Amino acid sequence: MTESRQSGIVRRIGRLLELIQRIRPNLSDAETAGLLKLLPPESGHSLAAFFEPHVREAGLQFLNMLGTWMSNAVGAAAAGKKAILIPFNFPPELVTAFDNAYPITTEVLTTLAAAGLEGGGERYWEVMMGLGLPDHICSANSIELGSMLSGHDFQPAAIISAAPGACDANSKIHEFASLWLNIPQFIIEKPVDDTPTGRRQYEIYYHRLIENLEEFLGEELTAEKLRRVLTRANRCAELYWELWDLHKPSPCPVPNIFSLILAGTRFSMWGADEGVATMEKMVEVAKRRLADKRLPEQRARVLWAYTSYYFDLTGLFTWMEGQGYLHLMDALDLAMPQPIDTSSRESMINGLIDASWNYPMNRQMGSSSMSQAWIEDMIYVAKDLKADCVVYCGHDACKQTWSVVSILRDELRRRANIPTLILHGDSWMSRTTPISVIQKELDDFIRNVVLVGPRRTRQTKRRLARPSGAPVER
Amino acid sequence: MLDALRQARVIENDYVKRWKADGGVVVGYSCSFAPPEIFEAAGVLPFRIRALGNSRTELADSRLSRFNCSFCRACLQLGLEGAYDFLDGLVETNGCDQLRGMFENWQYAHPVAFFHYLKGPHIETPEALEYYTGELRACALTTAAHFGRELSEPALWDAIHRQERIRVLQRQLNGMRAKENPALTGAEMLGLILLGSAMLATEYERLLTQVIAESETRTVPGFKARLVLGGSATDETEFVELIEDVGGLVVADALCFGARAFLPELDRAEADPWRALADLYLRRSLCPRMFDGFARRLEFIERLVTETRAHGVILVHNKFCDIHGIDNTLLRKKLREVGTPVLTLEKEYGGLADFGRLRTRVQAFLEHIGGRA
Repeated sequence: MTESRQSGIVRRIGRLLELIQRIRPNLSDAETAGLLKLLPPESGHSLAAFFEPHVREAGLQFLNMLGTWMSNAVGAAAAGKKAILIPFNFPPELVTAFDNAYPITTEVLTTLAAAGLEGGGERYWEVMMGLGLPDHICSANSIELGSMLSGHDFQPAAIISAAPGACDANSKIHEFASLWLNIPQFIIEKPVDDTPTGRRQYEIYYHRLIENLEEFLGEELTAEKLRRVLTRANRCAELYWELWDLHKPSPCPVPNIFSLILAGTRFSMWGADEGVATMEKMVEVAKRRLADKRLPEQRARVLWAYTSYYFDLTGLFTWMEGQGYLHLMDALDLAMPQPIDTSSRESMINGLIDASWNYPMNRQMGSSSMSQAWIEDMIYVAKDLKADCVVYCGHDACKQTWSVVSILRDELRRRANIPTLILHGDSWMSRTTPISVIQKELDDFIRNVVLVGPRRTRQTKRRLARPSGAPVER
Repeated sequence: MLDALRQARVIENDYVKRWKADGGVVVGYSCSFAPPEIFEAAGVLPFRIRALGNSRTELADSRLSRFNCSFCRACLQLGLEGAYDFLDGLVETNGCDQLRGMFENWQYAHPVAFFHYLKGPHIETPEALEYYTGELRACALTTAAHFGRELSEPALWDAIHRQERIRVLQRQLNGMRAKENPALTGAEMLGLILLGSAMLATEYERLLTQVIAESETRTVPGFKARLVLGGSATDETEFVELIEDVGGLVVADALCFGARAFLPELDRAEADPWRALADLYLRRSLCPRMFDGFARRLEFIERLVTETRAHGVILVHNKFCDIHGIDNTLLRKKLREVGTPVLTLEKEYGGLADFGRLRTRVQAFLEHIGGRA
């Protein structure tokens, strides 16, 4: 292995996770804090969000899971498997079910780089800029692809492009990467058509994708292989809805960072033992906190309309908890998994098609109307989880959400009397808007709009008396 | 030709006004995935939405954002201002995410009585072609039914053959600008093509015949280099004039408002009119929104360079246009690998203030490639 091979995201994150795996959940707070100082300052600061006392068990479980996931992908070729790069909007279970393949998700790798590496993922972004790509492409995929295209990272054997119909930027950059790396691209388009015709078309595309993968991998996708993965996926789905319900009490026992852990698990090892273990740990932690009845006061329940910010996890998730602001979920958590009938190959494939059809981004931006589908989902979640407000992250590259967020804002106000804050900042890079500015805008909005708005009771208004930044009990 | 070029520079031109005065129906559409034939067959005038260099976006910015492409914002601005109030309906296409957003906001903030969504796949597989065929049929029948018009197969064939005759004339005109001594400029050509999607096909066919006859003896003097222009939605004749003012003559283009619309040829052997249209508008599409069509797009531009003996290629994209911005990066790499000089430009749509910078870039490129100056 050459030195340059060590400078890609996968290797660097892999080494970081190896270090983190030495931290045990039974260490004291002081010991954990001391060990985190072994990490580079930015990494230690951001990743500390996983080591707050109330989330540490789940945080460690999650990071260990990702360590296994990445080493499996890197070792895929040696194990006779093909690593297949997938975007976040494609359920990994299909690829996992093949004996000869292993899924690795572009945006999860980018998030790990943004959150965990010194300097975030910006050096890999610069690689893409150096190729002459425009600066309005999406950092969520371009950071990892920059690492791959630099030649300093491991290379997948093929790419599944699942965003056509739901995101041009994602589809186009994966097409670019497949042409640049000269590896096959398997496209599964989401028809922007909610009618039965559109659904039938998606089924046709999905079956064609399976045929293409079978041919590429030289392997038949049998019912047994699918059942092995989907039985675990069904267990994950049960735990997903348990966790969903645990969001409903006020104060809510689900820590803010679980939003990220939930999405990260869904996009990586859903359907694997490690994924089940991570989901179980989150539910266990949340239930224990609920039973303890010593939850800190929460002044506002915040639903994120699309993505959150990932370049400083402590600066967002932990900071919000410190302010008494609950990060309910973001749109990446809205996988809405349903139990899959595992009785036959056909029923399982139908279940996977359902899951993919209703996946985050596919379901909203890949529908007949981007604004209407998004509005319906946001209103449902906001009401079910009793959100006080909605925050749109304003990620630079999300042209589709940027183009209809004004309709979402207007309709949330009109139909559900919920105010929306429209932020602007790259979700994976601090260079557009630093976390301090995001904190300030969020705080101003909640204090001046949410907490004094007509939805709030007099009792809630009294909570304003607590000074911003005052410590909260955990 | 001068009158035609004047008409090409206004939204509601005299042809549209006459059609409306006679009680005609006009439906707006926005991209090359909406075949005009299906509207013409129903007796409806299809009008391709354009912004013609409009740089005002203040109303549109309250709906779309600064992170959406300024072409979409410029079109929405005109829609919200009422410049398109002569339209009796809108047909949305998913040319790109931002166009979808433009249509959704248009219909949300300034609704029209008839609105239909024509969905085009992003791949050209047989299954996708079948789906698109059904979409074309549904769009045509819905439009005809809404406006109380008949839609017969003979009428559809008539419209298909008329449009193919128009494309043949456009190709002929296109050949005249690619001659050793070109008969017309790139800006003139763009204006004439733009007009074709804003007036009645029968009138346009006559107009083209007349322009071709007039152009037989014309010669464009004083250019330094022959160029191919490719890239995103460009209906700004001023931008092409900018290139030509400093000595680069656009002898061919790969623009969605230009040659990409008329160079692909109809499959005359196809017996089903809907399939013939689907084949022409989807399978032969040269738009980078097709995520499995890069090789064809590259081959198309390489062929244009060879056939027109161009000295270089300018690839342009509007800021925030992902599909062209990313495609242009790879096109530039591949074209340079075979020795073709390429200039890539990112620009704001209709941004006259930006023209100074663009002029400098083009001048430097022309000096670099030398040409015949």
